[in-house]
This record gives sequence, structure tokens and C-alpha cells, in this order.
Amino acid sequence: MSVTSGPPAIAARGLRRTYNVKPTAVVALDGVDLEVPPGEFFGLLGPNGAGKTTLIKILTTLLLPSEGTAKIFGFDVVDDVKRIRRIMNMVAGGEQSGYGILTVREQLWMFSQFYGLSRGEGWKRVDELIDAVGMGPERLQRVGTLSTGQRQKMNFARGLLNDPWILFLDEPSLGLDVAAARAVRELVTSWKAAVPGRTVLLTTHYMAEADELCERIAIVDHGRILAIGSPAELKKRVQRESIFRVEIDHLDGGPSALAAIPGVVSASPAADEGGQVDRQSVILNLVLEEDGVLGGVVVALSRMGSHILALRKSEPSLEDVFVELVGRGFEDDGAISEPVEVG
Amino acid sequence: MAVSASPSAAATPGLASPEWGGFDASRTADPGSGAAWRGFSAAVRLGWQMEANWTDPFLFFIFSVAKPVSAALILVVMLGIVAGSQDQEYRSFVVVGTALWSLVLAGIAGLAWSVLDDRERYRMLKYTYVSPADFMLHLLGRGVARVAVGAMGAIITITVGILFLGVPFDVASVDWIGFVVVMVVGIVAIVAIGVMLAAVCLQTRQESWSYPDAVAGAMFLVSGAVFPLAVLPFVGQAIGLVNPLTWWIEGVRMAMFPGGVNAIGGTGSLWTQLTGSLAPDTTTTALVLLATGALVTLAATSIFRISERRARDRGLLDRTTGS
Amino acid sequence: MSLYEHCRTASPAEAAEWTRRQIVMTDLRSVYGRAYPRMSGMLREPSWVFFEILLPFLATSAFVFVYRALQAPPQYIGFVVLGGALTSFWLNVVWMMAGQLYWEKAQGNLELFFAAPMGFMAILFGMAMGGMVMSSVRALVVLVVASLVYGVTFEVDQWYLLIAVFLLTLAALYGLGMVMAGLYLVWGREAFQLNQLFVEPVYFVSGLNFPVMSLGLLGALAIATIPLAVGLDAMRQLAFVGSPFPPGTPSVEVEIGILILMAIGFTLFARVMLAALERRARRVGSLSVRWQ
Repeated sequence: MSVTSGPPAIAARGLRRTYNVKPTAVVALDGVDLEVPPGEFFGLLGPNGAGKTTLIKILTTLLLPSEGTAKIFGFDVVDDVKRIRRIMNMVAGGEQSGYGILTVREQLWMFSQFYGLSRGEGWKRVDELIDAVGMGPERLQRVGTLSTGQRQKMNFARGLLNDPWILFLDEPSLGLDVAAARAVRELVTSWKAAVPGRTVLLTTHYMAEADELCERIAIVDHGRILAIGSPAELKKRVQRESIFRVEIDHLDGGPSALAAIPGVVSASPAADEGGQVDRQSVILNLVLEEDGVLGGVVVALSRMGSHILALRKSEPSLEDVFVELVGRGFEDDGAISEPVEVG
Repeated sequence: MAVSASPSAAATPGLASPEWGGFDASRTADPGSGAAWRGFSAAVRLGWQMEANWTDPFLFFIFSVAKPVSAALILVVMLGIVAGSQDQEYRSFVVVGTALWSLVLAGIAGLAWSVLDDRERYRMLKYTYVSPADFMLHLLGRGVARVAVGAMGAIITITVGILFLGVPFDVASVDWIGFVVVMVVGIVAIVAIGVMLAAVCLQTRQESWSYPDAVAGAMFLVSGAVFPLAVLPFVGQAIGLVNPLTWWIEGVRMAMFPGGVNAIGGTGSLWTQLTGSLAPDTTTTALVLLATGALVTLAATSIFRISERRARDRGLLDRTTGS
Repeated sequence: MSLYEHCRTASPAEAAEWTRRQIVMTDLRSVYGRAYPRMSGMLREPSWVFFEILLPFLATSAFVFVYRALQAPPQYIGFVVLGGALTSFWLNVVWMMAGQLYWEKAQGNLELFFAAPMGFMAILFGMAMGGMVMSSVRALVVLVVASLVYGVTFEVDQWYLLIAVFLLTLAALYGLGMVMAGLYLVWGREAFQLNQLFVEPVYFVSGLNFPVMSLGLLGALAIATIPLAVGLDAMRQLAFVGSPFPPGTPSVEVEIGILILMAIGFTLFARVMLAALERRARRVGSLSVRWQ
């Protein structure tokens, strides 16, 4: 039986978590249902306090749910704690953990022992991972002297020490510069792709990161999942049509000539982003019912004798999706829209 | 853009005016003693919150008292085993010494633990350091709460000694002025030693939590706290004679329990050999305390500044060092 | 094969099932792994030599001079020296084991330890082992130097028994340390402050500087409950054979029995309690709350 045909990497049903704090109890998770198949790169997006970290802590066996069940590759997070800890690892952003007195190499080796690697195997794996995350020059530097980015790279290396089958990343790019964040994304992507069945659950505030990495995303707010889907599917919630920006050398008959094509919702002149006043070409915004209509537009333009100089698709960003879904919740005085499975 | 030091001078506020949010150079001037006092008192309040808010008052009381009372009882039992319960004078000697030692430990530990707390646990040391408030004043303020707790422990231990352990006490014979003078100067000296230890902790790692206990334990040997200095070899006595804590404890004994065993002098003691007198009188004790306390305070200030500079130079102010 | 293709198991199910040998070896490796930072710390910041060895020796010396001032019989100097040596281990238990979990939580290491598959007692044991190196050096210095300087004469008939009692005392002490460490998962900062209660008050009831049965009933209670008290008393009886001890002092055999019960009992209790407390901490959510 292959990994991908086995039990889901994550299966949560009716997950609830309440913190009994003063003055009133806080409901951090309010009935979360989630299923992530093996091999998926899954993202959690949500504002601060949405419940993302609480969900991760339950799935990584650090926290018990108040109600509901959750399983990691078929192992229950409440009762099969040891088994889960053997097949998962976690990396959180902004971590300050570590023993300042140890070198990077020693710190990682210590954790390799906790994950059951033999002494020699541990050192070998540590050295490989240190090179993989680009910390070769810092391998003998004390943890207490590392910069934020270096510490996070070290944390990533720690997260991969035990070849986890599921890796939980809780805002891993926090505090990293652009280059370091990109390197980390490439590292995780490469690692995941190398073996079928490896699964990643990512929480992040960086929309671009989620858009780039995640195959599916859940948008979380007030402890509930508001929407789940691929980035493209989620964007379709905000904008169901396809919008293209096309630049052509000339257009006989004006934009209305294109508006008559079946599937074209509208065609209108677009502002010149370059600010050129004396441009000879024509730039149009085309709103189509779907991507497939574009072919007909291209044929029509060709028949009209127009040549396409540039063509670009305009999409809403995940941020637009996020604001639309989460903002609606705030406006409705806490009434949350029903979660929607998209696609 | 011109920057004006007198923003109110212009009739129409320009870009440099605070009303426009512009830079006001006068804000970089020394804020004066008022601000220093505010910073110190804020640190005192913070220290008290951190010392006293971790449990209910009853448990806090027990915690504050158990340590010094136990220390006194250890000595009393030792005394009782060997000398029997007859030597009340010596019992008074050890009870007062150990009671005051709780104040010593609190004073020494107060600042050192504040450095370690703020650097390792709360990670606030760097923020405190870069604020306009004086760093040493802040640490002193943070240490005040522990000193207060130590003082409470000392008072209660002496009270227990008087009420239950047969320590003789006559209110009418107490030299209150001498007591106040000695206490004020002594506490300054104790805090100065604490400043020195805080300077050390700025350089060392998290495990330095035990250093105040270790230092207090070592000084216990050469302070005449629980036995007269004359018992020590001459080297030990010499160290004891330049130790302000020796003179402080003795000064408190003389003020509160006059006529008891003297820790500094005695037949064959170094003091007697150097001065010819059997024991120092009250004035001598106070003056030597003042002199040794001043020396320690000066040394502490210098050591702290050197340590602070070294910590800045090596980036130690915001590191964590767990193991 | 690229680095990322390296995969030790073919499936999560295979990776999740460990043999008994794997579990035991991981725990043993974790003991060494956790002891490693402690031992490295000793070598990399040598200030402990002054603060953890020399100064405590001077503190022990203070009590020696108290007895000298009282012109006590010579065996009392020996009692103080032996007590001073054993305090090293007690302080290691209180500060470096019991209080350590509080620090680990504050630094964010605690949740990483719990998310890893090794047994948590292995971590505690590793902490103990790492700290024991320093404590042993301190105890040895106090014992040897103080004995030489203050002329302590040991009268030992049964060396093997003395060593056995010492090891049993350590086992009981560290078992108690594990119990205390578990309590920190629950009590947080309150336990850390209470830690300080476990120094002088324990020294007093354990008879650090005098035979514990001098305290009468209190001493008997201490012998029954505190490893430091019973271990120290047994070691004194073995190290100073022929010295008078207060009436009612249990025999060495009885005290050895108590130590064995303590060593086993505390360790078993710690194991059960840590599991229960971990579950409670997971329920309450206190594994990663730092300022609790």
C-alpha cells in the first residue's frame, strides 16, 4: 500500500478547544473539520487569534482538544502520542529556543539523539542538513550568537532531522529577509517533492507564500474554517470571471467590437500603466466568462487585422480573498459565514 | 530643514516644530533628577510586583520567613548539641548573625537575579538598557523589593529568637540612633556588593543563579556572623576586618544587644594585636563601617561600569545562555 | 540519492512503530544528548570553578569554624564536611533539575522536547547526569580539601557499603528531583519561587551540620521522607564508626532499606506523575505558555 493511498495525513472532525482563562473562557477552535491527504502542501490563513496555532498545537500533540477528534496518518492525537511524535516534526517562526552555549552543530546533534538517530548517523545527518540550509560557515558558531535568520535556518534543519512524514510549519518565514525566506521555501518544496507522501501544513500571514507553496488553503477566523480550496478556487470566490489585459497595435471598431463576441462580458479601454500619453497601441481590459473564451477573442482580433503586442491575466490576490471572507465576519458582528468547500 | 531648539519661538509652527511632529533637539537633554526618580520608583514597583504576585500573601509570608528562620535554627541546634542551652549570649550572637544574613543574601541576590531574570527569562534587559532611564538605578530599584523581603525575614527571625529561643532583649537599652546609622550604611554596602555580583552576572551564563548563594556563603566565613573572627587564621581575620559586613553586623549587635559577645575583638585576635584594645567601641565600629562601605561602593560602581562596557562590546546584553 | 530523498522508512505506519530496542536506545541516547549541553557549558564557561567549587568550600568552612569556636568534638567537623559535600547534589537537584523545566518552558525548549518521541524522563535524567559532573567535582573538593585542611579523620569499616549508600542516596535524590520537576509543569512560577524553600529548611530538618536525630521526632520524620537526611545520616554512621549518635538513630541497615524504597518509589512515582502531569499540561495548555 503506497503512502498516498493510506489514511489521510490529517483528519480532524468537530475539533473544539476552549481555554479557561479569566474573566471569560476563550473558544480558540469552534468545530473544525479538516482532511489533508498524504503528499499535500496545505496552508492555514487567518488573522491573529484565529486559532491557527491552537490547531497546530493539537495536531502536534502539545495540546488536547476540548471536543472532537484528530488523527495524523490514522494515529489519534490524544492516545497515539508517541507514534505521532515519531513521524512528525514542527518548526515555528520567531523561535528563540536552543541552548546558547552550544554550537549549531551540537544543538542539532542533541536533537538527533532525541529522535533516535545513532551517534554517528546523527552527526552525518546534521552535517548534511547544515549544508542544505546554507549554514556551513556557521556550523561551529554558538547558537546564542546567531541572527534571527540563521536561527530559523537552524530550526528548519532540526525540523528535517528525523525525516518526518508530516512537517508542521507555524509562520516559518517570520523575521526572515527576502532571500532567506525564498531559500526556506525552496528547501521545503524540494524536501517535500523528493518523497511521495510527505505532507506539509503551513500557517502564514504572507499571502504570496501561501499562494506560491500551497496546493490547498483553509481560511480560518474565530476558530472556524471559512473556506477551503486551492488558491485559484479561492480567488474565484472573489472574482468568478477571467480578466485579461491585452495590448494590440490597433482595433477597428473600438472595444465594442470585442464585446459582441460570445463569452466576453465586457471590453473597455485600460489605463496605460506606463503613463505614456502618445502610445500608438491600444490597451484593453477584457472580462471573460472563463479562460476558454480567450481563444475566440484572439481569432476575432486576428480577423480584424489586429496584432497582439502583450497579454496578461489579472487575478485577485489571496489578500482580496482573505479580506473579503474575514472582513465579512467582522461586519456581521461575529456572525460567521458558513464554511464553504470550494472546487 | 532648520531644527529649532525652541519650538515655541515661531509664531507659525514650521516643519521643525513639535506640533508638526518634527525633531525637537531639547528632548535629548538630560531629563534631570525627577526623571531618574520616576525611573527608580517604577523599577521598585516592578520589582515588588514580581516578588510578591506569584502566590497568595500567606504562602508568600511563609516563603519569606522559612529560609532565615531555618538558617538560625541550624546554628541554634549546633550550639545546643555542643554547648548545651546554657550559653544564651552565644545563642543571641548566632541568631542575630543569621537573621541579618538573610538581608545580606537578599541584597546581594536582588540585583544579580534581576540581571538574570531580565536577560534570560523576560528578555527585557536590552529594552531597559536602551531606554533613557539609568541602567544601574533600574537594577537598584528592582533589587529593593528583595531587600525589603530580606529585611522582613530578618525582623521576624530576630523576633522568633527573642520570643522562642531565649535571645535576651531589652528595648530600653537599644541605641536607636546608632542602629539607624549602622543599618543605612550597611545596606548601602550590601547593595554595593550586589552591584558587583550583578556586574559578574552580566558576563556569565544562566546558571549563575546560584552565584549569590555561593558568594553569601563564602562571605559568611569572614563576616563574624556566626562566630568571632578570632577563631579564624590571621588571614581570614584580616579579610574580615576589611569586610564592611563584619562591621555592619557587629554594629547592629552593639546597638540592639549591647554587652554581648564581640565578633571582632577578643583575646588573641588580630584586632587586639593591631590596636591594643580588646574590642572596638560603637563609634569606631560605625566609622570603620563607613570607610569600608565607601570603598566597596566605589569599587562596585567602577566594576559595574567596566562590566557594562564589556557587555556592550561583546553583545552580551541580549543573549540567552541556557544549558 | 539526494539529501532529501533520504528516507529511513517506506511509510508513516512503518516509521511510527518502534521496536523495544529502538525505544530504549533512543532514551539512552537522549540522556547523553541532554547531558551534553550541561557538560559543554562547564568547559566553555569556567567561572563555575570559582562560584560552584571554591565559594561553597568556604561556606562549609564557616560551619567548621562555628564548631571550632564552640570547641566541639572533632567528629562534628567531619559531620559538617560530609554534609557540605552532599549539599552539592541537593542543590543540583533543586536548581538544575526541579527548576530547570521552568527555564526550558521559558526558552521554548519544553514544547520541542514534548514533540519529540523520546521519553521525558530521559531528558530529566540527562539533566541530572550533566549536572552531576559539576556536583561531583564540588563534593570531592569539599570532602578532600576540607578533610585535609581541617584534619578530619574518617573511620570507615565498610567502604563498599559506604559507596553503596552514597549511590543509593543519589538515586533517591534524583528520583525526588524528577518528582519535583514534574510539579513545575503544573505550578509554573510558584514552584520556581518555592524552590528556595528547599534549601535552608531542608538543610535544617536533614541535619546538614549535626546528627539529624538531635531533632527528635522531626529528625525521624526527615529520615522517613527526605533522601538527604537519611543518606547523610547513614553515611555519617559508616564514615565515623564509633562516634556517638543521638538515641533513636536508626541503624545503617534500616536507613539503607529506606533509601532503596525512596529510590524506587520516587522514580516510579515520577514516571506515573510525569505522564499524568503531561496530560494535564496538554489539557490546560501550559506546555508553551511562558510566563505562567
